[in-house]
Amino acid sequence: MIRRLTAVFCLLSVISLYRTSDSYAQSDPSGQRRVTDLYAITNAQIVTSPGSDAFTGTILIKNGLISAVGKNVTIPKGAQVIKGDSLFIYPGFIDMGSQSGVKKPEEVKHPENLDPSNPPNEIAGISPESSVLDYWKAHEETMEWRKSGFTMVQLLPQGQMLPGNTALVILGDQSSNNIIRENTGLYAQFETHRGLYPGTTLGIMAKFRELYKNAELQSTHESQYGSDQDGIRRPELDHSLSAFYPVINKESPIIFRTEQALEIRRAIKLQEELGFGLTLFNVKETADLDAILKESSANLILSLDLPEDKAFKQDMEGATEEAKTSHKRVEEAYKKALSQAGQLEKADIKFAFTTYGVKKQEVLKNIQKMIENGLSTDAALEALTSTPARMLNIDKYSGSIASGKMANLVISDAPIFSKDAFIHYVMADGYLYEFDADKSKNGVKDADKIAGKWSYTSETPGGESQGEIRFEKKGENLTGEIDVDNPNGGGTITRELENISFDGKNLSFSFSIQVQGEELTVNTKGLVEGDKFDGSISIRDMGTYSLKAEKRPSTTF
Amino acid sequence: MKKFNLSIYILLAFLIPSLSFGQIEGEVLKPYTGKFLLKGGTLVTVTKGNLPDTDLLVQDGKILEIGADIDAYDAEVIDCTGKFVYPGMIDSGTRLGLVEVGSLAETQDYAEIGNVTPNMQALTAINPNSVAIPVTRVSGVTTVLSVPSGGLFPGTAALINLNGYTPDQMYAGFKGIPLNFPSSARRGRWDRRSDEEVAKDAKEALKNINDLWDKAIQYAKLDAEGAELDYYPEMEQLAKATTGEFTLLVEVNKAEDIVNTIKWLKDKNITNAALTGVAEGYRVADKIAAANLPVITGPVLAIPSRDSDRYDAAYSNAGKLHQAGVLVAIRTSDAENVRNLPFNAGFAAAYGLGKEEALKAVTINPAKIFGLEDQLGSLETGKSATLFITDGDPFETKTQINHVFIDGYRIPMTSRHIRLYQEFLERSPGLVE
Amino acid sequence: MNIYRYLAAALLGMAANVSIAQTPKGNVLIKNATVLTVTQGTLENTDVLVQDGTIKKIGTNLSAGKDMESIDASGMFLMPGIIDAHSHLALDVVNEATAPITAEVKMSDVINPFDVGIYRALAGGTTVAHGLHGSANAIGGESIVMKFRYGTSDPADIVMKEAPRTIKFALGENPTRVHGRGKNIQPRTRMGVEAVIRNGFNEALQYQKSWKEYNENKGKKNSTLTPPQFNLRLETLSDILNGELIIHCHSYRADEIYMLINVCKDFGVDKLVFTHVNEGFKVAPELAEYTMGASVFSDWWAYKFEVYYSTAYNAAILMANNVVTSINSDSDELIRHLYHEAGKTQRYGGLTDDQALSLITINPAKQLGIDEFVGSIEEGKQADLVLFNTHPLSVYAVPQMTFVDGVKYFDIKNDDDDQRLKVSPSELVEPVYLHAEHERCMHGVELFMEEGQLFNHAF
Repeated sequence: MIRRLTAVFCLLSVISLYRTSDSYAQSDPSGQRRVTDLYAITNAQIVTSPGSDAFTGTILIKNGLISAVGKNVTIPKGAQVIKGDSLFIYPGFIDMGSQSGVKKPEEVKHPENLDPSNPPNEIAGISPESSVLDYWKAHEETMEWRKSGFTMVQLLPQGQMLPGNTALVILGDQSSNNIIRENTGLYAQFETHRGLYPGTTLGIMAKFRELYKNAELQSTHESQYGSDQDGIRRPELDHSLSAFYPVINKESPIIFRTEQALEIRRAIKLQEELGFGLTLFNVKETADLDAILKESSANLILSLDLPEDKAFKQDMEGATEEAKTSHKRVEEAYKKALSQAGQLEKADIKFAFTTYGVKKQEVLKNIQKMIENGLSTDAALEALTSTPARMLNIDKYSGSIASGKMANLVISDAPIFSKDAFIHYVMADGYLYEFDADKSKNGVKDADKIAGKWSYTSETPGGESQGEIRFEKKGENLTGEIDVDNPNGGGTITRELENISFDGKNLSFSFSIQVQGEELTVNTKGLVEGDKFDGSISIRDMGTYSLKAEKRPSTTF
Repeated sequence: MKKFNLSIYILLAFLIPSLSFGQIEGEVLKPYTGKFLLKGGTLVTVTKGNLPDTDLLVQDGKILEIGADIDAYDAEVIDCTGKFVYPGMIDSGTRLGLVEVGSLAETQDYAEIGNVTPNMQALTAINPNSVAIPVTRVSGVTTVLSVPSGGLFPGTAALINLNGYTPDQMYAGFKGIPLNFPSSARRGRWDRRSDEEVAKDAKEALKNINDLWDKAIQYAKLDAEGAELDYYPEMEQLAKATTGEFTLLVEVNKAEDIVNTIKWLKDKNITNAALTGVAEGYRVADKIAAANLPVITGPVLAIPSRDSDRYDAAYSNAGKLHQAGVLVAIRTSDAENVRNLPFNAGFAAAYGLGKEEALKAVTINPAKIFGLEDQLGSLETGKSATLFITDGDPFETKTQINHVFIDGYRIPMTSRHIRLYQEFLERSPGLVE
Repeated sequence: MNIYRYLAAALLGMAANVSIAQTPKGNVLIKNATVLTVTQGTLENTDVLVQDGTIKKIGTNLSAGKDMESIDASGMFLMPGIIDAHSHLALDVVNEATAPITAEVKMSDVINPFDVGIYRALAGGTTVAHGLHGSANAIGGESIVMKFRYGTSDPADIVMKEAPRTIKFALGENPTRVHGRGKNIQPRTRMGVEAVIRNGFNEALQYQKSWKEYNENKGKKNSTLTPPQFNLRLETLSDILNGELIIHCHSYRADEIYMLINVCKDFGVDKLVFTHVNEGFKVAPELAEYTMGASVFSDWWAYKFEVYYSTAYNAAILMANNVVTSINSDSDELIRHLYHEAGKTQRYGGLTDDQALSLITINPAKQLGIDEFVGSIEEGKQADLVLFNTHPLSVYAVPQMTFVDGVKYFDIKNDDDDQRLKVSPSELVEPVYLHAEHERCMHGVELFMEEGQLFNHAF
């Protein structure tokens, strides 16, 4: 079945590509359209697939596809030439799970006579029939992940136990809907709606078994109804159960978010009992699981999130013997966490990665840490390219660099996993994106002066608003987030700060908010004196307003 | 009709002290005082060794005489041949009398609203008729410290005898002011604060205490100068801790916090203080000893405070503190099951404290901490006749407690638990077929 | 480290029996101990030979096999591994408190083999524990009998596979508070608890019937029957009615105990154990007549109203009335000294040594349906053993070594202090637990309370 679907899909994509080339160019008064879709990246170091050696050559891209790759490629007329000298080219990365740009479904109103022991599915966090694509609103936010080398992303719906279907999208041009495949899997989590059945992992395990069995029975009933036999009662179709059919038919997997070892075992237990295809998602702990992972047919998606190193790096000089012993165990645990990926490689267990819960700037850094702790660069690349492609059944046309494959490329100014590597370009779906290599732009001095919690007040035509900004020191740099009034009404939302810069006096940063489906960037800059910040916020086309903030000495609760 | 094991009947005869307290219908058993001669028992005096085959004379609530063959023709004689006489056990940290049924808010009188309420008097709320009191005292625990809990300064604790009809009759002569020292520990798995936040919160709480303490000192100073101060009952009471009139009972458990407490007490020049809880005292036992601070620790039957701790950390804590030279008393922190005090002491004994020291930790040591060593905690002439008589080591579960005296009152050896036993051992009607 | 011990033993076990992956089994000779067999009296200066996890021989002058550890236990006391018939240790979740009946949930799904409490229980001589669902629901989930093979990361390794299925029921204050008062659904009263249970059993009968009908006609020509809905809850309740599960019912008051006896009689269910059962002494003759026994606390009372009229003499009265009686912990703290809890019955009711020891060995084994495997020191039984420095009923008793299936999991002299199997890679400051809330019967239930009230004591 899978093979057949893939074939259908291939055909579809080929058709759509033909259609692109068949369609006639038109005028574009917006000026958005590119002049040519023909690119040549010349004289670059090319790694066509994990494990193969880099060679100096040229890649030709047309119509969103790689049309040629090699040492002696003739560059046709009309090609936009990118001089690849000193650049390194890799297949585009595939993110096996992200909720970037995916909205939370609106909370379903509780009926007045809600029985907490038997709530409707959608209230209990069970909506396998819904699709993440219905909630994928902030495309620009998703596209930001190109900066970290990603060209395709499996989107996951937000919610609780069974939030819905996942989908694969490409980080291509805004003129396309960028959907590669719908319903790539059914997302599942050990998450519940507080106080309603199922309320805990206990209930989830039971509810899952029951849903699955009833989906099978409903399917039986349906086929009975469709048979020649008269007198069959009409099946009362339950769309939550129907949503399981592709899983029951092994057309798509259950993508179970299982971070800890015990969650992994629980998901595998369900798989063994019920017999579905399983993808273990956002796995953070694989120690002691080698054997079971090997035995199980489950796909393994590792988290790119790594534990913080603060405790690991703690200076233990002068500490008690007891504290030192205790620190040694933290050290062991930390190293174990970092060397997990390398251990899996040694055990010949294939895995892919997800950016779930990871900050963009951490992705390459964390892979570097894994490499320092035993993962080979080949295996790292494999986990970002060919393995996810195979897991998604798209390896025929993506996951490596070859003529006829999708033009998804990562182009860096040094070997991609080396410390200084900067991703200079990303090509996705044949569109080229360039990133500013000027790393010093967002310099941060005296991060300590800023790190901490700030209360801010901002005057806008909409009235005064207040909230909190939190800065955290990460190495020499700053990360941060801001609480802002939800422009779409109701409560506050938290946004990640970007481009934070501080030279000891001037502080600037930006963040984005969505207003009525449109993404707005808010730029903030101003002067820091002591614990006070006096500055302004500006939003393009909307004007500039004041923002004052004060650093809070400490937290209380 | 079921067959009963003969041994049960034999034991029953022991258990229900029908000799003197056979219960007949309608009879009410009351404690009574008088002149009692405890004859021929082994006196475990605690302070003066074990005196085999020795008599003890009780009169006017006191131990009048200890010696061989005391002649007291008008005394009620209690034959203690083959038995042991111990000073009453003191539990130096309980909630006894302040709560009747644990989960029922209506019966909880140990935690008042407010963070600084040292003026809340435990002695006021102690219920002399709590069912738990007879249940406790027939085990040989005769005296307990009842401690309010809750905020920073939750109230004033009181030492009580487990006999009497009014709080004042029960009052045993010591009051102390508990302070819950701010902790830099995570309070459990659910506590998701970062390491930094935990430290910061503790720092702030400490600042708060310092401010309060400064105010209390100021109050005490101005009061001593004869100033007419505005009504401020919290400070009025706290001032008495700053002057040393009341012992400050500092509840602190984590090693780091203990060290901070020691430093704080020193900084504030507080000398009349004891540490309570002290779960991780063994980690800093030398420092506690050097600061010359007595410790009230317990429950001994507790799980270690950290996952990484050796399994017997709580069992062995008292022993390690003692070995470092700390004066140790043991508490149960319980309400209805203060009767487990001897078992807490027994476990401490088995895990390093030793039997002799464990006995002191529930008798003379708390008496010393409470400044009552001339009245309680040992069998000595002139001391309060608060004692009990057993057929063996009172820490052993097998041992039966035969008689209890509190302040010279002979306590009826019954409780609701015993009466239910008497009624239901052989229920009538039994099984209706 | 226990994990190495576990692995080493597992490897040895594999060498001995390659065909099936199985839990480690040990060989050991314990010499010259005072052996408290529980079922066959006390044997002085006796040797116990353990082979492949089983007690092979009890006698004198036995000799160790090749490569077999021999332990000189002169002056020491050997007793069977302690069995706790009521525990919530090593479970990630205790209550699925969202519905009055949750018979469909299984504690085996939430075993946490990393819980350091397992090691601490072993250090207190406990080798087998019955991990129960909490008491929030009239009918809770399926419980799990665990053998404390500490050191494994696989929950399946600590499951006692020979044990029959058991299930938790709960009467009285907890289910009525959680559902009736907390969520305004039945049961709010003890009347409602009975009704909820009877409703459940009756629905299960109908469910059985409709499936039976469907299965009988499935595949038959011209059958128009379509599959009934699958209901895991009613599946389990049916299994109870079919006698496949032993009920362990949380209960306190005499009236509610009597009620469930009557309900079970009406539905022909006779595998019934009452747990906590503080007022069991008031209906001791009925318990003796109809049930598999009562599993009680040694001395807990007054922590809530329904235990205000209890007595520490409960176990003694029950034993005297021939009720199969055990003493349980319901607490991660108490499970470390059940030998001491059993000892308390000598103060409160004067039980003999053998009677007192039976409360934590053979009697709980009977209540769990595992007495043919564990619960006494007999040839052929599984070698779950504890060695004490003195008689285990003494307050001064200190366990020295604990064996499960002949494998030593606790050794007072040789074990490291830190026995955690898992350590946080990013936190140096460990949480500190004080007067920890050991008792977990109502664990997690406060989340579901409407007014968010918390209960100090929550059983």
